[in-house]
Amino acid sequence: MITHQLALVKREIWEHRSIYVTPLAIATIVTLGVLAGLMFASGFTAELDIAIFGAQNLAGDPERKAALTVFFLGTSWIFIVAIAILTIFYCLDSLYAERKDKSILFWRSLPVTDAETVVSKLLTAIVVIPVVMVLGIIVTHLVNLIVVSIWVSMKGGDGGMLIWGSISLLDNWLAAFIVVIASGIWMSPFVGWFLLVSAYTKRSPLLMAFMPLILIGLLEGIIFRSHVFADNVLARGDGLPLFRIGDIERFFDEDRWRIADDATSLLVHLDVVQFLTSPAMWAGVLVCGLLSTGAVYVRRFRDES
Amino acid sequence: MTSLVSARGVTKKFGSFTAVDNVSFDIERGKILGLIGPNGAGKTTLLKALLGLTDCEGQLSVMGLDPFKQRKKLMQNICFIADVAVLPRWIRVSQLLDYVEAIHPNFSRKRAEELLQQTKIMANSKVKELSKGMVTQLHLSIIMSIDAKLLVLDEPTLGLDIIFRKEFYANLLNDYFDEERTILVTTHQVEEVENLLTDIMFINDGRILLDSPMETLADTYTEVAVSAGDADSARGLGPIAEGQMFGKSVMLFEGVSREHLEGLGDLRTPSVADLFVAKVKGARS
Repeated sequence: MITHQLALVKREIWEHRSIYVTPLAIATIVTLGVLAGLMFASGFTAELDIAIFGAQNLAGDPERKAALTVFFLGTSWIFIVAIAILTIFYCLDSLYAERKDKSILFWRSLPVTDAETVVSKLLTAIVVIPVVMVLGIIVTHLVNLIVVSIWVSMKGGDGGMLIWGSISLLDNWLAAFIVVIASGIWMSPFVGWFLLVSAYTKRSPLLMAFMPLILIGLLEGIIFRSHVFADNVLARGDGLPLFRIGDIERFFDEDRWRIADDATSLLVHLDVVQFLTSPAMWAGVLVCGLLSTGAVYVRRFRDES
Repeated sequence: MTSLVSARGVTKKFGSFTAVDNVSFDIERGKILGLIGPNGAGKTTLLKALLGLTDCEGQLSVMGLDPFKQRKKLMQNICFIADVAVLPRWIRVSQLLDYVEAIHPNFSRKRAEELLQQTKIMANSKVKELSKGMVTQLHLSIIMSIDAKLLVLDEPTLGLDIIFRKEFYANLLNDYFDEERTILVTTHQVEEVENLLTDIMFINDGRILLDSPMETLADTYTEVAVSAGDADSARGLGPIAEGQMFGKSVMLFEGVSREHLEGLGDLRTPSVADLFVAKVKGARS
């Protein structure tokens, strides 16, 4: 069972290379951006007061810590947006492409159940893509902190202490991991819905996935003059019950961190217990389970001839 | 010993259309059965029912299993080539071997690699870089490395050139088939397979028209080239089909003994293709 799942998930990564190409691309672009910024700054070294990275400044300067935290959050945010886009396209393709190219007949000629197949796609969407992205976040941070600390050292500062000493790396990576995994679980009803559409639709999965959602939201607004569906389903992402400081947008708000004096560790701002005891989270998991089961049945009973 | 496949009253309907209509048959171990039928006859639907890819009415048992409900267990002992096009185009040959090795308990990677060494297929090639013939060779190499009891081939050589087609069947017979294994093959190119079949089944409009061992075909069916003078008396014996060739009437008889026919002209055993055409036309008239 576990070896089957490993083989199936590996297969997903072979097929969808964007799962590992995307984080590599983001890491490369961010690093190039930082290098360009440093080279630009280097041109002014004589006059520029390097307040943020503190070549001359004191260790423990809250501004420098905040700047590093903002860099952490900014890069993590790019990855989270990438996860969302990647997961949508991955799920919609996962049970559709195999029918389109008829390879489903090959996959189903092997001793693997339809449930095992759908579970592997669910695992890829909710676990594999987020974990690969967190690795991308870690690599991006490491590479860029190395680059910046070398630069600071070249400018006469103590890169080791000023950069590496002023931020809780492990805490922040753990925080990134928790945010990313919790977001995946929180948004899992959408994953289930996308898998069902992917298993069911004969054409344009993207359209077939979003049209009904938008239509329901619009119709509710027109007929009942209410927006329960829009608030609870379409805007579900805003409601992730994980933060001590309001919603996800506020968590990622740069200005907040610039003035915060508790900026070195992001972990303290997360409330895992609140997340795990949230009825809305468990309701979402249930909906995801039901929709995925629907995808299993569609794959099993649909005749492709 | 029980049959490998046993079908009793198997029916599959799509809405008001009956694709397979109350079909009953058995397939014994160690046979090579050809399932022959025109397009839309119900061949593929019947195969899908056997493979558990679609549900059906009636009783169907393959190796003692219900194919639809126990598909995973069944697939450990069945191999299936649906069409040359079904290997995923994005996958690399080595990845395909990795995957099947992890999934299939009866797969021998060593054997697959040996078989692939005899071809021009490279381990790091992607399926989409291979020619149609090579994709079939690849699929066949994988299938032949799986120790399965039943091999189901649905139009396996469709779209291949004559050299690949001949090689395909030669490989199948020489390197794969033995008395423990059973092969079920459907094809339009009857001439290519009739020499390797042990049994034959004709299907048309979802019904079975003929289900016979190849060796008894010659006892049951006789083709006679009758001269014009004897045509009327020959017709009196009730041919199931009649055609004209070189000024003679060529008549096909079912169940008429050779002694009765000998005086009427040259006797021969009809080709499977001729017999098939006669049976289908007979069923339609």
